[in-house]
Amino acid sequence: MGFGDLKSASGLKVLNDFLSTRSYIEGYVPSQADVAVFDAISAAPSADLCHALRWYNHIKSYQSQKNSLPGVKKPLGQYGPAGVADTTSGSTPTSKDDDDDDDIDLFGSDDEEDSEAARLKEERLAEYAAKKAKKPTLIAKSSILLDVKPWDDETDMAKLEECVRSVQMEGLVWGQSKLVPVGYGIKKLQIGCVVEDDKVGTDILEEKITAFEDFVQSMDVAAFNKI
Amino acid sequence: MALRELSSLEKFLGLKKPNKYSTQGDKKVPVLQSNNGAPLVGLVTIACHLVKEAKRLELLGDSAESRAVVQQWLEHRVTKLDGCTKEEMKTILKDLNLYLQDKVYLAGNQLTIADTFMYYGIHPLIVDLAIQEKEQYVNVTRWFDHIQHYPGIRHHLPPVAVLRNRIYTGRHH
Repeated sequence: MGFGDLKSASGLKVLNDFLSTRSYIEGYVPSQADVAVFDAISAAPSADLCHALRWYNHIKSYQSQKNSLPGVKKPLGQYGPAGVADTTSGSTPTSKDDDDDDDIDLFGSDDEEDSEAARLKEERLAEYAAKKAKKPTLIAKSSILLDVKPWDDETDMAKLEECVRSVQMEGLVWGQSKLVPVGYGIKKLQIGCVVEDDKVGTDILEEKITAFEDFVQSMDVAAFNKI
Repeated sequence: MALRELSSLEKFLGLKKPNKYSTQGDKKVPVLQSNNGAPLVGLVTIACHLVKEAKRLELLGDSAESRAVVQQWLEHRVTKLDGCTKEEMKTILKDLNLYLQDKVYLAGNQLTIADTFMYYGIHPLIVDLAIQEKEQYVNVTRWFDHIQHYPGIRHHLPPVAVLRNRIYTGRHH
């Protein structure tokens, strides 16, 4: 997770897209997550990034109570959309100071320190790997929007929806549905659902839904989105 | 409807004893008979009275400007949103979407009763929107999702499922 480089235009663009559906970085109240990202941005985002700017101005209004906002500050890489790494310069302590030292400390025992640092790093990596192994793996979920088409305008759509919703599987949750007119008085059923990728596939869904031959003519996946 | 909104507001404000309301006219305008003086008529009038009674004046706006904005949205809610037609609904959502583009709350940087009552009023519209339409009005949807999760607001209304990642990207904002 992360926003890329928040000091560059591309990072702000990621932030802007992320905030288009959210009021805050995390949850529904201002928190240290907002403060952390706010602090990483050098100046107010430009006006064309309206979502980022809206959030920026809103968080700015909390400046006086910045430290009393709930939550614990995490590194920038813990926030934002999955699949984008954090590359903001200065967000993690860089090795800039070390470089300076190297320049001056010509006769220093660099090697020893390096091996010490490497050992420490290895230790930490092992610790992290052990921790990671213990953590349960994240369950991959998808939200799917299905179009279910009836045979003709005489098909009982209420019954059809009932049939579709009667499909019960582990890792399948039905969401909201809607009837969308197709033409000639025929309506199709548009229904959303959330599935666990490992347990439910669209082909299984299609098989189960088209099994209601009396009502269902065909079924399409209108949208498929990983959560 | 209006009576349930008022009792939800009472719960949100933490008022101890619930008031007794009656309605008048075809439109079922709520009336509150107080102990002293004339009865209070109308949703907005009663709501403002309740807020003052609970001494939560910040809910009416924290500056002169936001107080005016709050009143304007409350009026918009009662006059425009209530009983709007399908055509008007589109305009209302479009305008609200544009208005909320650079705002987190309707007035100022904090929750006011303008948010509360616009939320109550717009809930029946949002419930009927398809996912595509919700994404088309992304600013309204974001605000709506925010308000419905605000502690103590959603009492009598069912929650509306809102996707937090966009499916149809590249459409109008």
